[in-house]
Amino acid sequence: MSMKIFNSFAKLTGASIVCSVVMTTHAFAQKSTKLTDPEVASVAVVANQIDISYAEIAKAKSKNDDILQFAQTMANDHKAVIDQAVALVKKLGVTPKDNDLSKKLLAGAEKTKKTLNSKSGDAFNKAYIDNEVSYHKAVISTVENVLIPDAENKELKDLLQNVVPTLKAHLEHAEMVQKKITGK
Amino acid sequence: MNNMIFLLRKMYWLLPVIFFTNCSSSPEKITHKVYTIEIKQMQFQPAELTVEKGDTVIWINKDLVAHDVTELPDKSWSSSVLDPNKSWSLVVLQSADYFCSIHQVMKGKIIVQ
Repeated sequence: MSMKIFNSFAKLTGASIVCSVVMTTHAFAQKSTKLTDPEVASVAVVANQIDISYAEIAKAKSKNDDILQFAQTMANDHKAVIDQAVALVKKLGVTPKDNDLSKKLLAGAEKTKKTLNSKSGDAFNKAYIDNEVSYHKAVISTVENVLIPDAENKELKDLLQNVVPTLKAHLEHAEMVQKKITGK
Repeated sequence: MNNMIFLLRKMYWLLPVIFFTNCSSSPEKITHKVYTIEIKQMQFQPAELTVEKGDTVIWINKDLVAHDVTELPDKSWSSSVLDPNKSWSLVVLQSADYFCSIHQVMKGKIIVQ
């Protein structure tokens, strides 16, 4: 399973901003022990928080309507997912627990945010939407191949499964915006 | 028998009443149907729905995130934001394509037959 995840991320190399995503990939690929439910919850919340932080940068820096609308949708949707996750862990009496994977995700996100903040104008728009495509591919792979299989609690597993269609629609939306603004 | 003929003659005056009552009865009542489209797993389900003019369609958001229902291509009508578990209805008068303007990859179609 780890090799499968690694291969999916290996395809993401090419642009400098993708390097941090690949680092994140390594974080997933290196995961050898099964995550506990508190750790699964932590990774799920952190993964959503990271995309909100990217959206906040886009809202502050971009003047492109498509980017701004997409970023606002990411901020709203990922907050809604976090709210659901927080409500569930509260109900279950589970406290999200930091772990190597969530820490490495955050470390990779710091590098990506630094790269995004160094760009402006069209270069920023391209970097942001390219990263959104890569990041959503990475997160979908992680949720499907790591978090859902590792989750023990049925309600936690169900929530993760319900999130997948949202992530896939985000990816499709990101690819649509990417095609529009970069002509890819 | 004579009594019967007498009775029928007496009832002649009723015939025009019966005739006009039948002619002036209200036309057949048209009953419009109500359809429900669920928004779940980032899709309109069903994505395509055939109705008759005047039928009502209700969209209900069963997803984790907010959506809307907006006409394509001119955005001539829209539900505005539908938070989870909220619904919105429309009396359909003509066929229309629509989408979620928040998640623009989500599309649907109403066909008036």
